[in-house]
Amino acid sequence: MSIPLQPAIARLETPRQSGFLSSLSRIPGIGIAGIKAFFAGQRYIGAILPLVILGLWQASSSFGWIEPVFLPAPLKVVQAFWYMLTRQDLLMDIRASVFIIAQAFVYGTLLGVGLGFAAGLSRPVELFFGGTINTLRHIPTVAWIPLIVVWLGLGAPAKIVVLTKSIFIPVFLNTLQAIRGVDHNFIELAQALKLSRRQLIRRVIFPAIVPVVMITLRYSVGLSWALVVVAEGISGLEGLGFLIFRAQNLLMTDQLLVCMVLIGLIGYGLDRLLYLTQRRLLRWQRGFGGSYA
Amino acid sequence: MLEVRGVTRRFGDFTAIEDTNLSVREGEFITIVGASGCGKTTLLRLIAGLDQDYTGEIALRGQRIAGTSLERGIVFQEPRLLPWLTLWDNVAIALDNAPLSPSAKKEAIAAQIALVGLTGFEQAYPAALSGGMAQRAAIARALVGHPSILLFDEPLGALDAITRMRLQEELLRIWQHEGVSMILVTHDVEEAVFLSQSIVVMDSHPGHVTANIVVDLPFPRDRSSAEFGAVRREVFGALHDNAAVKPPEIEYLI
Repeated sequence: MSIPLQPAIARLETPRQSGFLSSLSRIPGIGIAGIKAFFAGQRYIGAILPLVILGLWQASSSFGWIEPVFLPAPLKVVQAFWYMLTRQDLLMDIRASVFIIAQAFVYGTLLGVGLGFAAGLSRPVELFFGGTINTLRHIPTVAWIPLIVVWLGLGAPAKIVVLTKSIFIPVFLNTLQAIRGVDHNFIELAQALKLSRRQLIRRVIFPAIVPVVMITLRYSVGLSWALVVVAEGISGLEGLGFLIFRAQNLLMTDQLLVCMVLIGLIGYGLDRLLYLTQRRLLRWQRGFGGSYA
Repeated sequence: MLEVRGVTRRFGDFTAIEDTNLSVREGEFITIVGASGCGKTTLLRLIAGLDQDYTGEIALRGQRIAGTSLERGIVFQEPRLLPWLTLWDNVAIALDNAPLSPSAKKEAIAAQIALVGLTGFEQAYPAALSGGMAQRAAIARALVGHPSILLFDEPLGALDAITRMRLQEELLRIWQHEGVSMILVTHDVEEAVFLSQSIVVMDSHPGHVTANIVVDLPFPRDRSSAEFGAVRREVFGALHDNAAVKPPEIEYLI
């Protein structure tokens, strides 16, 4: 946490403050400004809400607001987590789910960006695929699962295929649209500079569409991670989705919550990875940072 | 060196420019002035080779032009820097296909960046540059391939008055330093008189050349001198004959 530059002055200026903030501010080295800085715009601000939720959760079991069978205490969930880790195959299940999303991500992105580029650079390719893909996209991913499972069985391949499709479609469509949306002025500039078609793609079109593609990837990976859980729940013998539905059937709410928390954290981690990649790729962009004064 | 003969460009039923002639000598600085819609940008785009759908003939050093070429560098109205490239790379991109060794390229790029006064900003992204700096970078990009003629499409139009004056002086310096022919399209009469050896006045409906005024004043020119004012009045007069353009009453005291 940041220490205010002039704690003494900060204390002098707020003599009539009472309550929690000012009592904290009387601790040497912490001014009211420091406390404000801690909460306002600092990196720890994101920890406040999870802690509040955890506190409410703990309170609801401590004070018996909710039956433990519906909502077990946080500690019970931690115990269940440990139990699943040591006595069951939780790690293997996590790995199974992450394996599916990782593969689907790679295939879906490669296919989506690749075919999106092909369609973006060639009208015939766009006309050939466009209509079909635009129709397929209206069939929900979940509706594909039964058929693909009949074909490929309960294992990972069926889910990888279905999720590849769920990542491929938005990536394809947005890549195509992003290419169509590249500023014509830049194309003209490339002409004036006598860039070859390859150079145009590499130096102009590709960097121009990175912002859209990255947002699409983050969005569709989030969506697909949720679909992994659904797919494993509908058909499968392992993975976090399988565990969560099994826990429901056995009324093991603690295990169910373990899975929920893990799904949330892994989803956050996946998005974080993509976010950092995005930030690295888009260093050149200067957008709206949020403060406006 | 550059000859435009009987050039007509139509967009459907609309005739943008008709039977237009223009001639630029080696190392000459000419400006094209006219109200918006008179076809001056259309003409420049034809010379740049960005638009090839015309009748008539445009030839550079006796060669009929076909498409764009680094021989004819162009600076657009807006800097048009690629936002994902640093200033250095934005200039370097013009040499991507040049038959030069990497070290020769480096040298040329550094020299050009120095010429436009941007040394020290090589690694900056365009978002961090001011409008004037970005336009200087665009000039460096157009110059780095050593074109024989440089085309400007109202490059200073979007800048504030002070930056514009400073860049006008720099353009003059660059022109004298590089010895390159220049065609500058503008609607700023003072800019035209300050910079060019010859002013081509255009009128619209359809676009055509109405006057060709030779500016026989030594460089650098004094914007407040009587001779300067006389040429300015002459250009305004030519524009006035075209349309209801009145010369401003006030005299510039710069």
